[in-house]
Amino acid sequence: MKTLKEMLAEARQVVPEQGPADVKKRIDAGEPLVLIDVRDPDEYRDGFIEPATNISRGFLEFRIGGAASDPTTPIVLYCQSGLRSMLASKVLKDLGYENVTNLQGGFQKWAQSGLPVVKDRPMNADQIQRYSRHFLLSQVGEKGQRKLLRSKVLLIGAGGLGSPTALYLAAAGVGTMGLMDGDVVDLSNLQRQILHNTPNVGRPKVESGTEMIRALNPDVNVIPLPTRITVDNVMDIIKDYDLVIDGSDNFDTRYLMNDACYLAGKTNVHGSIFQFEGMATVLAPNQGPCYRCLYPTPPPPGLVPS
Amino acid sequence: MIQATEAIKVLLGIGEPLIGRLLTYDALGMRFREVKLRRDPKCPLCGEHPTITDLSIHRGAADACAVSDNGHAAPAEAPAATPRG
Repeated sequence: MKTLKEMLAEARQVVPEQGPADVKKRIDAGEPLVLIDVRDPDEYRDGFIEPATNISRGFLEFRIGGAASDPTTPIVLYCQSGLRSMLASKVLKDLGYENVTNLQGGFQKWAQSGLPVVKDRPMNADQIQRYSRHFLLSQVGEKGQRKLLRSKVLLIGAGGLGSPTALYLAAAGVGTMGLMDGDVVDLSNLQRQILHNTPNVGRPKVESGTEMIRALNPDVNVIPLPTRITVDNVMDIIKDYDLVIDGSDNFDTRYLMNDACYLAGKTNVHGSIFQFEGMATVLAPNQGPCYRCLYPTPPPPGLVPS
Repeated sequence: MIQATEAIKVLLGIGEPLIGRLLTYDALGMRFREVKLRRDPKCPLCGEHPTITDLSIHRGAADACAVSDNGHAAPAEAPAATPRG
């Protein structure tokens, strides 16, 4: 009969190990690796490594095909201390997966190294019902929904572009939404700015918008920012968010957001509209062009019609 | 709605976000067009030799939003008509 020690030694001969820093580097580099947390669901919920999928050790052979169908997919496994996942990695090797790595020291060592961990609160019955249609989409699912609920999005402008965006993101369950706008609701806004309604004419747009979003989805933590974005406040504000949505209505703000988001490494979902025409693009620092790649400098003020 | 969808895709890391692509929309003709965008190696911000390395370029100009309701047209080389909140 083999001892546990012998089984682990045997597994180590075929399964390479990497420490937390090396695995973090691979994730940050955008390597399409599949990270699997083989602990029990309650351990996973208590804290896990993004973007891990939880497949408990007992279900691994049954469910691995759903997470990695191609035997050449790079897979990293972890458990609490790195032992269970070592044995689990050996099983994947035996199943024919060629590129399996064990996270040495497991979740414990990862967390002790000060690397980021994520904690999920269990969804309540209302949330399970509210997001049930998302669960049906394989690309979203419960895991994606939890991620949305943990996401922080900053909306620049609560006007024509910001209104529908805020409502859709709130409905979808984006957990934290910064809503920034220095204007008040005008009657002439209401024909298109659907985040606001008639009784709110004259009130700050962020107040009106915050009420509307909370009424739509109480899961959303709205942070009202009743001020204009300026060169002095922009860096301090965007640092708290995962993503910025530019729904501004002027070139100064657009260029400011482009520059600030690039310098801060934040993806900027850009949109603009004029009369019957609109455009949209995603400005992701170092993954694609920025707004200045399209238009290096703002147009002179006189050229801009209102 | 396009911005919201793109935001969710980026947050979840799914699909193909509009990175390096400009989607234009003409409501009267009801036509969508896609323009490929490339990074400009000479870009003053994200190019090989950037001249903009902080936000100081935005100082000195008039208050960023003094022209709040005033910035709606694209520069001459714009592929399609443009901006307004």
